[in-house]
Amino acid sequence: MEAVVIPMEHGLALAAVLFSIGLVGVMVRRNIILILMSVEVMLNACGLAFIVAGARWSEPDGQIMFMLILSIAAAEVAVGLGLLLQIHRRVGSIDVDETSRLRG
Amino acid sequence: MSEQQLVAILPHILLSAAILVQMMVIAFARNLRTTITVSIIALIATGLAFIPVYSLIPINVTPLIILDGYAIFYSGLILMSTLAVTLMAYDYFKDRGENQDEFFLLLLLATLGALVLVCSSHFASFILGLELLGVSIYTMISYPQKGLLTLEAALKYLILSGVSSTFLLFGAALIYAISGNLQFAELAPVALVTQGAGELFLTAGSALIFAGIMFKLSLTPFHMWTPDVYEGAPAPVTAFIATVSKGAIFAVTLRLFSSSNLIEVPAILTGLSVVAILSMLVGNLLALKQDNVKRILAYSSIAHLGYLMVAFIAAGMIGGKVLAVEASSYFLFAYFITTLGAFGVVTIVSLGNQEMDAGDISNYEGLFWRRPMLAIMFTLTLLSLAGIPLTVGFIGKFYIFTVGVTTMLWLLLSVVIIGSGIGLFYYLRIIFAMTKRTEVNAPEIKIPIAGGCVMATITLATLFFGLYPTPIINLINSLVLSIT
Repeated sequence: MEAVVIPMEHGLALAAVLFSIGLVGVMVRRNIILILMSVEVMLNACGLAFIVAGARWSEPDGQIMFMLILSIAAAEVAVGLGLLLQIHRRVGSIDVDETSRLRG
Repeated sequence: MSEQQLVAILPHILLSAAILVQMMVIAFARNLRTTITVSIIALIATGLAFIPVYSLIPINVTPLIILDGYAIFYSGLILMSTLAVTLMAYDYFKDRGENQDEFFLLLLLATLGALVLVCSSHFASFILGLELLGVSIYTMISYPQKGLLTLEAALKYLILSGVSSTFLLFGAALIYAISGNLQFAELAPVALVTQGAGELFLTAGSALIFAGIMFKLSLTPFHMWTPDVYEGAPAPVTAFIATVSKGAIFAVTLRLFSSSNLIEVPAILTGLSVVAILSMLVGNLLALKQDNVKRILAYSSIAHLGYLMVAFIAAGMIGGKVLAVEASSYFLFAYFITTLGAFGVVTIVSLGNQEMDAGDISNYEGLFWRRPMLAIMFTLTLLSLAGIPLTVGFIGKFYIFTVGVTTMLWLLLSVVIIGSGIGLFYYLRIIFAMTKRTEVNAPEIKIPIAGGCVMATITLATLFFGLYPTPIINLINSLVLSIT
């Protein structure tokens, strides 16, 4: 039986779709936790793209980049949640519109 | 790893060791004076460790790190700016209660990230340095913990910077998919692919990478976070973001795009020109209607990065690379000095006010009569930002002009001229506010010793290198041109 190989383009397309979902989430969501989750989805989409690309060249580099991305995501979210706790303590809300003071 | 390679990354090893020492010092003997001494010694030792590296360059340490003259020049610039920021931050934090020591730990960590960035020759070290720098900066922004403003600025920066990192990563993944290489220099042959799916991947990948970088360099249309973060962050941290963070990211971008030839992709050059023009116009125009000095400086930095992009674009033109790298290095040097000077003044004026930094322009009214020396220093840095002759900023802008004329970028140059004209207006506005005679009972401004020394050095450097830029030009010629 011949093994079915998934073409690289399909994997990358899936990653691109995931990436877009995450990006839309960041822009549309008003809840800070959900925004952080959307960023996480985007990071994982990049990880998937790296793994697919690595599989094409049959190299471990893609997977190593994925591990790097995992640790980066952990660091970002750790700091993000810390800030979130502080904001919740001061304002009593985690809605971006209610916490916004700066004009931007 | 050979002995030579170990010597070559000695600065990074030293700084990492110093960070561990700093952690121990804070854990066992919490004292701001000790912490700051360790920080200063660490920075100076790291700087000195580059001396033995000089005889070895250029040298690759694993595929991830390359040490060449370019890396050494920017590392030196970063270390000196960090030293200035450390001293400013000492003044800023010493009277603000307990537990201010960890700030200096974070500052060293961010510096390590910046050093890794300027030496990186591979996407893995690029991302690693970027995040080491970024995650430390989020924490530094929210460090004072007074008021909501800093927290909001930190969260905003965290989310936008996180998103921009994903853009960069996705672009890198696309380029990896088409080339099979993550090392900058080995991408060069791939950059010449001009047909079929390869071209699509290449253009999309480089566009995504550039979008990510534009966020970090606060170029229009991704500049929205800049004024808010500049306003919300403590003044020394703003100085750090404006100089070290942006400088390191620009340095690695220039290395990536020039050693991989990606900059010669025509679609990228067109896109970059649009971005540069927009940044210069938007930055200068929006600065006009601001009443907050920190926000004015934020918009002015957007415009300055736009000027810098002119040199970057010239690097992609035929015959422009050598001059463009020289020009951007000098421009960044000038930008570092003047930006540090401007935020140094903001730091000193803010010292008396614990709640919020002295951002509003009314804090500066009558400064000439209250603190003439400080006002003269501020005037000089503002004139240098505006590019008035006899200051270092003028030489920087003159370089941008020269490189633009050599590569015949007439449209971009005309926008530079228009932008500089508009810029003069809002810089002069701050200067006029300082000369106003007011009877306000503003809090008295004390000039601290450390901050005063930093400001004096910066002012002297602004004048000296404005009158006699040859030493720096020679230094740039002997070091930086190694990447061309």
